[in-house]
Amino acid sequence: MIELHDISKTYRVKGVKKPVIDRLSFTFPGDRNIAILGPNGAGKSTLMRMLAGAEEPDEGEIIRSVRVSWPLGFASGFNGSMTGVENIRFVARVYGVDAEAVIKYVQDFSELNESLRLPIKTYSSGMKARLAFGMSMAVDFDCYLIDEITAVGDQTFKKKSQAVFREKLPHSRIIMISHAMGQIRQYCDCGLLLTPQGVWYYNDVEDLIAAYEASNEDTKRVNAL
Amino acid sequence: MVAGIPSNQQNERVRDALAVQFRVIAALVLRETRAAYGTSQLGYLWEIITPAAGTAILVAIFTAIGRHPPFGSSFALFFATGLLTLFLFRKFASSLMGVYDANKALMTYPPIKGTDVLYARSLLIAATQLVITVLFYSGLGAWNLAGFPAYPEKLIEAFAVTALLGFGFGATNAVLVSYFESWRQVVTILMRPLIFISAIFYVPSYMPPEVVDWLKWNPVLHCVEWMRNGYYANYDSQVLDQSYVLTVAVLLTLTGLLGERLTRQQRGGA
Repeated sequence: MIELHDISKTYRVKGVKKPVIDRLSFTFPGDRNIAILGPNGAGKSTLMRMLAGAEEPDEGEIIRSVRVSWPLGFASGFNGSMTGVENIRFVARVYGVDAEAVIKYVQDFSELNESLRLPIKTYSSGMKARLAFGMSMAVDFDCYLIDEITAVGDQTFKKKSQAVFREKLPHSRIIMISHAMGQIRQYCDCGLLLTPQGVWYYNDVEDLIAAYEASNEDTKRVNAL
Repeated sequence: MVAGIPSNQQNERVRDALAVQFRVIAALVLRETRAAYGTSQLGYLWEIITPAAGTAILVAIFTAIGRHPPFGSSFALFFATGLLTLFLFRKFASSLMGVYDANKALMTYPPIKGTDVLYARSLLIAATQLVITVLFYSGLGAWNLAGFPAYPEKLIEAFAVTALLGFGFGATNAVLVSYFESWRQVVTILMRPLIFISAIFYVPSYMPPEVVDWLKWNPVLHCVEWMRNGYYANYDSQVLDQSYVLTVAVLLTLTGLLGERLTRQQRGGA
């Protein structure tokens, strides 16, 4: 469903070149939910942004044959002076879906009630996350990209999010970054491990988690020396 | 990998891509309208108060020192043809300069490209300024300060070329500003003398040739001259060089768009 052909990405920070992804080729299987694990700075979010098409690789090519969501995470595209409803309308227009239906869906789902009529700058970060999550769930994507976001809100909201995911799972896939192994186990059945040494694919989520934890132990040992 | 795709499917892709771009630009225009003018009720009003106040001040000064209008019988019309043109250019230049930095958050949504924001903002400026220009001249007409333009089609040309010049200048500076933040100050300084060197309160055809030799490098002056050639029946500018200002406008536009394309990856957009 998403094919990476030999992609590379380098960031230049103050003249220093920092390679993030080096000649990676991989085909994300269309019938599995995929975790992306790795230490901070290994390029997980960069990979996610490239999967979404929000950023281009320096070299190589990405082919998407399905509708991929925007990367749902902490960085939101909200305009602070616009209200929740106005932001929803904007995103609905960009994706060419019925704005009123999305507003209705988000109203039912996010429990933001009257706050939806207030500017985003009055929202707490939890409220923003709920709005972003509701918005992306309201648009039908074949593949949802989730960058550490599901742990928002209280118990009821968490239950609701899980229910929505289960509803989506028969016909949509998830690619997820998370540091919470419980979540990874719950939603994903295989995954990629990104480390500064390279990228590995694990066909079984337990193997992936074991390898991730082993690599964390290694890093800790190195740091302790 | 276009090689393997049958051509009718390719056409479909191109059509889809165009449909997405139109949709995105329309969404952005609506968003920009809200962001640019929505926060204060006076937003749109200021757009017309600024040139009106500018014209009024110039009229007051020149009347007070007992001068005749530099051309024609109406001070207000003469200054308005200059000021409205200059403000149109300045509006493009200043609004587009920060376009890539101000809208980084929007790049979260992959269908939105950096240039879409540029086009959306330009469309909004062009539409707003067009309404203001028409309102302003109609207002002058209603107060008997101006007649109907002699060559309306030339006014439209002048408006379009000024908008293109502003777009090119703004788009080029937007790329430079995304690299060196301080370029913004350089542009502000560069634009400051424009009010004196763009023929706002004098007729360049009546100026000494050694002054004109310098003034005619300023493309905004040619925009003003083009506008007056359209408004007055017998302005007959000796300075206006249409191909010069057109060339500058097209070159700046190409530089701005090409520069955006070449630096897109470093900016982290798509």
